[in-house]
Amino acid sequence: MTLQTSPEEPAPLRQIARILNDYIGRLGSIWVEGQIAQLRRRPGAQQYLTLRDTDEQFSVSVVISAAALDAVTPAIEEGQRVVVFAKPEYWASQGTLHLRAREIRPVGVGTLLEQLERLKQVLTAEGLFSPDRKKPLPFLPQRIGLICGRAAAAKDDVLVNSRLRWPGVSFEVREVAVQGVSCVTEVTEALAELDALAQVDVIVIARGGGSFEDLLPFSNEALIRAVSGCHTPVVSAIGHEQDSPLLDLVADLRASTPTDAAKRIVPDVSEELRAIAQLQQRGHRVVSNRVEQDTRFIDESRRRIRSTITSRVQHGLVEIDQLSARVRALSPAATLDRGYSIVQHAGVVVRDPQEVPMLGELRIRVARGELTATRTKDES
Amino acid sequence: MTKTNPASDISYEDARAALTEVVKSLEAGGISLEESLALWEKGEQLAATCRVWLEGAQNRLDSAPE
Repeated sequence: MTLQTSPEEPAPLRQIARILNDYIGRLGSIWVEGQIAQLRRRPGAQQYLTLRDTDEQFSVSVVISAAALDAVTPAIEEGQRVVVFAKPEYWASQGTLHLRAREIRPVGVGTLLEQLERLKQVLTAEGLFSPDRKKPLPFLPQRIGLICGRAAAAKDDVLVNSRLRWPGVSFEVREVAVQGVSCVTEVTEALAELDALAQVDVIVIARGGGSFEDLLPFSNEALIRAVSGCHTPVVSAIGHEQDSPLLDLVADLRASTPTDAAKRIVPDVSEELRAIAQLQQRGHRVVSNRVEQDTRFIDESRRRIRSTITSRVQHGLVEIDQLSARVRALSPAATLDRGYSIVQHAGVVVRDPQEVPMLGELRIRVARGELTATRTKDES
Repeated sequence: MTKTNPASDISYEDARAALTEVVKSLEAGGISLEESLALWEKGEQLAATCRVWLEGAQNRLDSAPE
């Protein structure tokens, strides 16, 4: 149905209201899933609550009879996931829209677990949790992005323990809702903000333990995809050790608790110093062992050289004495020792006085040396 | 070794070999008195050269620290 209107021929509001009522009325009764954003009980037969989408910022008012609300046990609470059987209504007198619910059912833990398991399978099949998508954490981060609750214990756990390990550590903290209806949006926004900061080279999402439903936002598909698309490595530090939301699977590192996250993101300065001192000691020991060993080797070598040479020298001396004694024994020395002399002239042994001219020089060899003489007389 | 020795420019091994030769020549016999006299003197000198060498070596060993 097309409505022709112009400034000169406007449609009266009542007509528009009726059309809207007609449109919306055609939707009929439907099953809607969402989360209770607000529920304030008041006296009276009509109760009002706000239903919000689990992932995005869409809300709608729900009107339900007190009887239908009371029929649910345990009682419906804020933050709970519910399925509502309702008929959308346009309330023409106020110009507002609401869902008139006839029945409300809490989404049971079993159903939620099933949904979670299905989501996990889908995301696994997409490869979002694959080990080769994990980014390595910096050894010593420049600046740590921390997403945590307002004035939360988890925040102090991370800050205090990180500073204990490495006093110079620097943080960029974003305090957000870590449970309830705005959790997914706030965490996702903080994540995008921190991811855009160049100095932040690791992001920690920290939250203390909580009920299954409290932790549900950390298994939310939109949040998981946001973490997966993050350029900065993300550390998940949710709850106590037994809590394992999907965030743990998509994160580049899973810390069991916020305190554990502190241990994983910064090295322990005293531990590092100890390790360095140990390496230093080992290096020193290796070098000093080597020096000692080589000194021993050199000393040993010197000793061997010395003893070899000494024995050769001693042996040589004995040998030379022997050779020298043989020379002496075979030479005329023994004869000379008995008092004989050998007279030589011009290098020749004199056997005949004729061989020596007047004033000829004579060399007289005796046992212990030699004499020089000159022939002065002719005896021949 | 010692500069006073006239045969100092000859190595220990050469001097020792020459000394051995002298002994062999003397032992072989059949040589004149002049020759045996000369060999004897040469032998004495070679032996002295060898001793200077060996004593020098011993001194160097003794003067080196243990």
